[in-house]
Amino acid sequence: MTRYLLSRAGQAALVLWAAFTASYVLLQLLPGDSILIKFQNPELGLSPQQIAEIRSYYAGGSPVAGYVQTLLGFLTGSLGYSIDTGTPVAERLAEALPETARLASAAFLLAVVIAVVIAFAASYSTASWLRGALLSVPSLFVSVPAFWLGILLIQIFSFRLGLVPVIGGSEPQQLVLPVLTLAVPISAPIAQVLARAIDQVYAQPFVPVIAARGATRWWILWRHVARNAVLPALTVAGLTFGELIAGSVVTETVFGRAGIGRLTEQAVNAQDTPVMLAVVVLAAAVFVLVNLVVDVLFPILDPRLKGAAA
Amino acid sequence: MSPSRPLRTVVTLTLVGLLGACGGGGDAAGPAPGDGKPVRGGTLTYLEHQPPTCLYLPAAGFYPNGGILNQITDKLTWQNPETLEIEPWIATKWEINEDATEYTFHLRDGVTFSDGTPLDADAVAANFDVYGLGDEKLKLPVAEFVNNYERSEVIDPRTVRFHFGKPSPGFLQGTSVIGAGLVSKKTISLPYEQQCRLKNIVGSGPFTLKKQILDKEVDLVAREDYDWAPPSSEHQGRAYLDEIKIIVTPEDNVRVGALTSGQADMVRYVQAYDEQTVKDAGFLIHAEPTRGVNNGLYLRPGNSLLKDARVRTALRLGTNAKEIVDTLFTGSYPVATSVLSHLAQGYVDLSKELVHDPAKANELLDTAGWTRGADGVRTKDGRRLELGVFVSGPQPLSKQTLELVAQQWTKLGVKLEIRPADAGTQAVDIKDAEKTAIQHGMVGRADQDVIKSHFHSENRDVILSDDEKLDRLLEEESAEPDEAARNAKVAEIQRYVIDQGYAIPLFEEPQVYGSAPHVHGVAFEAVARPWFYSVWKSRP
Repeated sequence: MTRYLLSRAGQAALVLWAAFTASYVLLQLLPGDSILIKFQNPELGLSPQQIAEIRSYYAGGSPVAGYVQTLLGFLTGSLGYSIDTGTPVAERLAEALPETARLASAAFLLAVVIAVVIAFAASYSTASWLRGALLSVPSLFVSVPAFWLGILLIQIFSFRLGLVPVIGGSEPQQLVLPVLTLAVPISAPIAQVLARAIDQVYAQPFVPVIAARGATRWWILWRHVARNAVLPALTVAGLTFGELIAGSVVTETVFGRAGIGRLTEQAVNAQDTPVMLAVVVLAAAVFVLVNLVVDVLFPILDPRLKGAAA
Repeated sequence: MSPSRPLRTVVTLTLVGLLGACGGGGDAAGPAPGDGKPVRGGTLTYLEHQPPTCLYLPAAGFYPNGGILNQITDKLTWQNPETLEIEPWIATKWEINEDATEYTFHLRDGVTFSDGTPLDADAVAANFDVYGLGDEKLKLPVAEFVNNYERSEVIDPRTVRFHFGKPSPGFLQGTSVIGAGLVSKKTISLPYEQQCRLKNIVGSGPFTLKKQILDKEVDLVAREDYDWAPPSSEHQGRAYLDEIKIIVTPEDNVRVGALTSGQADMVRYVQAYDEQTVKDAGFLIHAEPTRGVNNGLYLRPGNSLLKDARVRTALRLGTNAKEIVDTLFTGSYPVATSVLSHLAQGYVDLSKELVHDPAKANELLDTAGWTRGADGVRTKDGRRLELGVFVSGPQPLSKQTLELVAQQWTKLGVKLEIRPADAGTQAVDIKDAEKTAIQHGMVGRADQDVIKSHFHSENRDVILSDDEKLDRLLEEESAEPDEAARNAKVAEIQRYVIDQGYAIPLFEEPQVYGSAPHVHGVAFEAVARPWFYSVWKSRP
């Protein structure tokens, strides 16, 4: 188990380094740079000579030296300065991260609940029309654009019914609608995979055996089928973390939340390279970490995998 | 700009019905209490479209920045937004020498910055030395509104004199603009990045910073001991409001919906298609003029296809500005009648020249040797008449405007290639006349110098000018101490720019705000940044 963990952790570190390097190189290749965009702003009226001086102040040295310097900075927790606002990137992340973490984790939990309810209800229902209707819900959910859903929810629940304020309001009030907006599309793939896995487990020969011994349908579903069906759903749930990050860009813009998503959007607009690089590495780190957790959970949930992992 | 703009339009259309219904459900216009006497107290919730960027004062032109800085800083002089006259403020009086190379300001006594330090001649001199000369070591760029600055001279604690190398008649107005806000000596001696941050900006204005959540919210609180409003202001002493909450709400629908449903008191940037919704709900629209160079297309003579003035003129004659305003905008956006807004100083009516005449446009292109190809696009010497332009992020409905222009130009046999506003590519390509033949933009400032800011090869230089005559005219304008002679020069420049086919003026671009009926005393500076000092609410 320890060896398995170590090798997985090593892989994770490698992925992170690759993500850092690839994004560093790609960001260097972009046309223009943040310094040019910012200081070429005609309102500042700087001459090309002055811009060149400012650029050398920020960048300093060759691309390789810049790469090494930035990498060392990242390893020691110093992420550089946002060129757009002059704030340390680490400070910006520290402010934006909790905001997004609250949103993403609440949305993730809600998405899992929605997915389980849909999948279980579909498996449990005997009427085939109801089952069909429930199973088509995920396809509907996944095709709803977060942007559209967010505005619709605001219009109905905040502006029309006045149930929750969008402007001001307490933190829980501010979270309700964005969490719902983000959870709905994310619940779809989890629900789909879970429902299919449940069907597959039902088709296995051990199910009629348990039924013959007098187990109720609920007992079979809950104690036997669900336990076996949860693994594929868990894998998908891990993967949806990526979608969570992407979805939060849109959701945070619609709801005016100052999270990682908004930070990313603005950094991209202003081509604020230090911020973009930090966001990419952070996203990769979260992704890698979640998948690491999923991989570690696998052998715990499924004893058959323990041998393979040991 | 948000990447979701096209989507936003779709959603807007699908939600029109819903929105209309919401508007009716919101707060109806309630009568102001009793005698309409101002009430002290309360918090104004003001929704901004974009978060502020760097708050170094000369960069205050960006509206979200100006909306904050206008509340926390005062200026040497006050430009009356009605008459455009320059009136006393922190300076009680001033003397200007004959050729406008020496300005002496006498300062008000007892004014302090919010950190307790005095706003004296020393502080004013330190401010303008930076605005006029920049500071290389601190990476502070020169401010656009100061021309020909040489040095400051502190005569006594309450008198400061500025010296200019050449006449600088625009300087007096320059001391009233938002970028000329006065900050404490400590603030002005910080390096650029530090002056970018709101928490470091210490002014003498009626409000001070209480709290900032980056990208989300700025809370300002009234300064109890404030007692130096412009003498011409009816209201003196402390601001009426206790607090202002400036909340960034990027989504157009959310901003307007929050206003009409009573969650916000005032919003900036009401899109043209939302104006009616706001009015129908019993709320107010403030379309504030920006009094500068009009929203328009600026053609670059350095582009090989546009170097022929006949082509440039043909493009102007083939553009129907009225159709653009009628299709996309509202009465808040008057059709341009010159390069400058009709409220700008030195404006001259050129509507006779700015006609839509597609027949003449086609004729001009024919004589210039451009013949129509099989696909309708004109060609000459194997080159297609195809021109590139970037969508301009700050301009309202820029993409839609350009698309409509492209349609109009198709009838001339000209292809307009519209590129998305991607900051990176734009920063590189916009300085290349060959790649970016046309720029879509405007600039607001209530002084004759605004035209120099827009066209001079050492300022914004929207046309990437290589026209020495234009530069010379602009320099003469900015150094002409006599007001009448200066206005005549500005008129000459407007004619010249049109005659040379450098500009296709489209419309006068306002800043459009919406406010609730219980918000009173809404005021704006001469270029439409809100001024909340005299605002009060008749409802908590």
